[in-house]
Formats: sequence, structure tokens, C-alpha cells
Amino acid sequence: MRIDYRIEHPVALSASFEVEGFTVLLGASGEGKTLLLRAIAGLLPAHGEPFDGMPPQQRAVGYLPQGHALFPHLNAWQNVAFALRGARRRDEAIEWLERVGLAELAERRPAQLSGGQQQRVALARALARRPQLLLLDEPTSALDPATRDDVLAELIAEVHAAGIPALAVSHDPALAAVADRLVLMHDRRIVQTGTPAQVHAQPASGAVARLLGLRNVFRGRIAGAEGAQHLLWPEAGVSLPVHTTLADGSNVDWHIAPEAVVLHGAGTTLADAIAVSVELRQTGAQGRQLGLRCGQARLWAALPSDDAAAALRVSLPPAAIRCWAA
Amino acid sequence: MIDALRPRLTTFAAVLALLLLAAPFAGLVVATDWRHLGFAHGDAGAVAVSLGLSLVALLLIALLGTPLAWWLARHRVRGQWLIDALLLLALLTPPLAMGLLLATMYGPYGPAGQVLERAGLLLTNSAPAFVMAQFYAALPYYVLAARAAFEGVPRELEQIALTLGHSPARSFFHVSLPLARLGLAAAVALAWVRALGEFGVVLIVAYYPQGIPVKLWVNLQDVGLQAVYPLLWVFFLVALPLPLALGLAVRRRLA
Repeated sequence: MRIDYRIEHPVALSASFEVEGFTVLLGASGEGKTLLLRAIAGLLPAHGEPFDGMPPQQRAVGYLPQGHALFPHLNAWQNVAFALRGARRRDEAIEWLERVGLAELAERRPAQLSGGQQQRVALARALARRPQLLLLDEPTSALDPATRDDVLAELIAEVHAAGIPALAVSHDPALAAVADRLVLMHDRRIVQTGTPAQVHAQPASGAVARLLGLRNVFRGRIAGAEGAQHLLWPEAGVSLPVHTTLADGSNVDWHIAPEAVVLHGAGTTLADAIAVSVELRQTGAQGRQLGLRCGQARLWAALPSDDAAAALRVSLPPAAIRCWAA
Repeated sequence: MIDALRPRLTTFAAVLALLLLAAPFAGLVVATDWRHLGFAHGDAGAVAVSLGLSLVALLLIALLGTPLAWWLARHRVRGQWLIDALLLLALLTPPLAMGLLLATMYGPYGPAGQVLERAGLLLTNSAPAFVMAQFYAALPYYVLAARAAFEGVPRELEQIALTLGHSPARSFFHVSLPLARLGLAAAVALAWVRALGEFGVVLIVAYYPQGIPVKLWVNLQDVGLQAVYPLLWVFFLVALPLPLALGLAVRRRLA
């Protein structure tokens, strides 16, 4: 489904992109992502397709706002039945709750449900409306980190099972990672679209790299002509050899993957190695990383084994540095 | 030391306030001649007038005041301060002055009064005049309390109801009204107390039919204090149950 919307107020914003399967619109806070969802749902004056000019009650959208907005005075099945008409409302509502695995909690009030359960009730309610498009605002924000991935997997499985295109807006790279399609927004414009694999392989800019949650995205400036270039890194007060096609004096955003940072012991004799101090050690499910202080900058480096933990110098291989004109 | 005293000071202040509140009623208990509790002629009629017409006024206040309160809670218009000023004016105007203003507007020589009289609605010394007086006395209190109740309903829930295919009217009846019900109950209780106890406005535009507050005044003038107290006890008896029950229901819900 093609989304093409223009908002004038309270902020000027226009967005045009395709929603396929579970699509995530990734953008920083304050970009107007929620406004876009509200505009599509008809809750904000705006123009665009689909549903142009229709009042909200006639738009076939299932809108799940942040915090789920369940009616506190109704229990779970009554919340779902709110989207239904006719004598069989209760039975149909229970069937929708069964689909999201919550039929046994049908009599519970929203306050008696966990964040993930509330989200599933809200999803059942939105689906019961039989929408042509699902709109989800920051669906991971209210979830417990311990169960988040499971709740997310169930949510996406249910969206796929329903066969309805879904647009989720978020600033959470973890949500972006599980999308069928990614749309990236920066400075209130769509800056890149594609599958997560495509976008991760070729981020269009430093802003996109930051949105994707990449570590080690810095600002810098290119010095020297092609073939003998250096990257000036003012935060760290160092200059690094790089290979780019950018002109002398170009301001850039640049990135190096933590895994590409080469750690050396204190006794290294390499001339271009940068002195660093270890600021923190991070050990998690994703592996081990070191937070290194380089002047004013923090550089992350993957830690292959325990014995390199005392590294005092690093080098950044030119081939691993990616630069974007800023 | 000071910290230890603080709870005691609070308790002392609270008890003092309660005692001050209770003092006049304690006086009433003592002053009432319980052995010769007699009613003046027309007291029963005054009770019927007060109860019956106050209920009509309360119904009108709820019917007209609720949409206004919701509209004020949900819309910001240019010149909003004028509406706020109007509500405050209605609250501020001394009851006697409000009665005079109503008489000027709706009385036999008033512009609206003449038109309405031709249509068969007499708004001086009549049951409709009595209801009008109570309506004006209590409406601003109801609107302010009900507006606060509607402001407490998350707007997002009303909007979600729209996205689920409900019209704004259905959204109002199925979401706004049930979620504001505790505050609305308090508003109804407040309006009832204000309407039933109103004296100044009623005295000017509806000396007849006599409700309890005016009859208390008449009894005082014609008979004396001993004719006031029995009717006052009856007044408490009929006026208190509705706001008390509403207040208790609200507190139970909040607990």
C-alpha cells in the first residue's frame, strides 16, 4: 500500500513510501512519526492518500497508539467488542482474543494485564475492525526487556497471519531489525527505504547509520587529494589514513564497525596507532565490547578474548572506514 | 521534635475544622424543642415544591450543562476568556442581584418575559419561574465541575473510539460519559445542593410557589424560630440522601 501524506501543522512534514508486510518507519524522537500515524488515522488535519478527506470513523485503519489506549472501564473482551456490531459481538470478540492467545483473560480489566497482554488485546481490537492498514506507534516502548523479543515475534507473526499491511513507527533499531521493509526518516524527510539487509549493507548517510543503532559513527573532515587522503577526527584530535572518492575539505560522517577496530598492547611500535584508555567493559548476549576514550570521543571495539582487555593503543584499518558526505 | 509534632498539628487543625463545621448543627440539636416539634401551615407543600421542582431543574441542568461542559473541555476557541468570564460572572453575582437580573430579563416587563408570556410561559411567581431561578443558581457550578470531569478523560480514548468506527456521538456516550461518571456524579451532587438551598434568586422571581428556603424565611417572619427548626430538619432529611449517596459511591470507586 502506498502512503503519501503531507502535514502542515503543528510541524510541516511530508512522507511518501510503500508499506509491505510489517514495515517499520525508523526515525529519531521529534521527527513527527506519531503525527504521521495520527494523520493517516484521520485524527490530525492533513492531506494525502489513502483515505484523503475521510473522517476517522470511516477510515479502515487499526491504530495502536503508544501505551495501547485500552478502555479502562471495559474488560478485555468488551474492549475488543467495541470494534464490533451485532448480537454475536461477545462471541466474535472472544474469537479474536483466542487468535492472540488471550481468551482465558477475557474478563480481565486492562489494569490487570501485563504490557505485552495489553498490546495483544489492543491488536485484537484493531484487527476486529477489519482494517486495510495497521498503524503501530512505538510498539516496543512499553515492553519488558526480558520478554520483548518474544512479544515482538508474536506481534509480527499475528500481523503476518492477518495478512494486513502494517506500518510501525519507532526509534528502536531492534524493531527495525525484524521488519519486512524499512523506511528511514531524518529531518522530517524519508531518506532511505529497503529491506533491513539492504539498508544495513549500504546505509545512505551517517544519520541512517545512527538510526540503525550502529556504534562508532563520528563526524570528520577529508584532507588531501584522492589516493593520499586523511580523515581529520576533531573529537579525538587525530588524523587517520582513508580511501574515499570525496573532495579535499569535505565534511563527512564516518563509521567503523567495532569488530574492525584493531587492539594493540602498550608496547606496539606502529606509528599510526592511537592512544586510548579503557572507559568501560560491556559484556552481554551480543558479545563483549570495550568502550575506549580517545580524546573527547568514545570508540567501541569488539573484544575477541580476555587478554586484550588492557589495550592502550588501537589502529583503524582504512579499508574498514566508511565515509558519507555530511 | 518538630517533625514529631507535625502529624499532631495536622490532626488538631482537622479536628478543629470539623468542630467549627459541626457547631451550628450542634446548636440546632440543642435549640430544637424536641417535645413540641410542630410544623407550620404549608410546610408539607414547601417540601413537595422544593423536591419536585429541584428535580426538574436538576434534569434541565444536566441536559443542557453536560454538552456545554464537554464542549468547553474539548475545544479551545478564540475569545475563550469571554466564556470563562461569563461562567465566573454567573458564579460571582450575588443571588439577590441575580434574581433582580432575571426579573429584568424574564419578568412581566422584561424583553424575554413579554415574548414568553405571550407564548403562555409565565416566568414570575410560577413553577417555571422557580425552576428558572434554581437553574441559574446551580448551572455554573455544574458546568465547572463537569468540565473538570471531562478534562480528566484522556482525549486519546475518545479518538481511539473514532478509529474503531464509532461516530463522535457514540464515542461520547460509550467512552467520555462512562469515564467521566465519577466527576459528573460530584457535579450532580453539587448542583442539587445549590439548587435546593437557593434562597436569594428564588425570593425575587418565585416567592410563590414557596419552596423550603423561602418557607423558612416566611415561618421566621410569621411565627418565629420554633417554626424554622422542624422544617429545617425535614430539609436536611430530603436534601441530604442524593449528594451523600453520590459522594459515597464516588469514594468507593476511587478507593
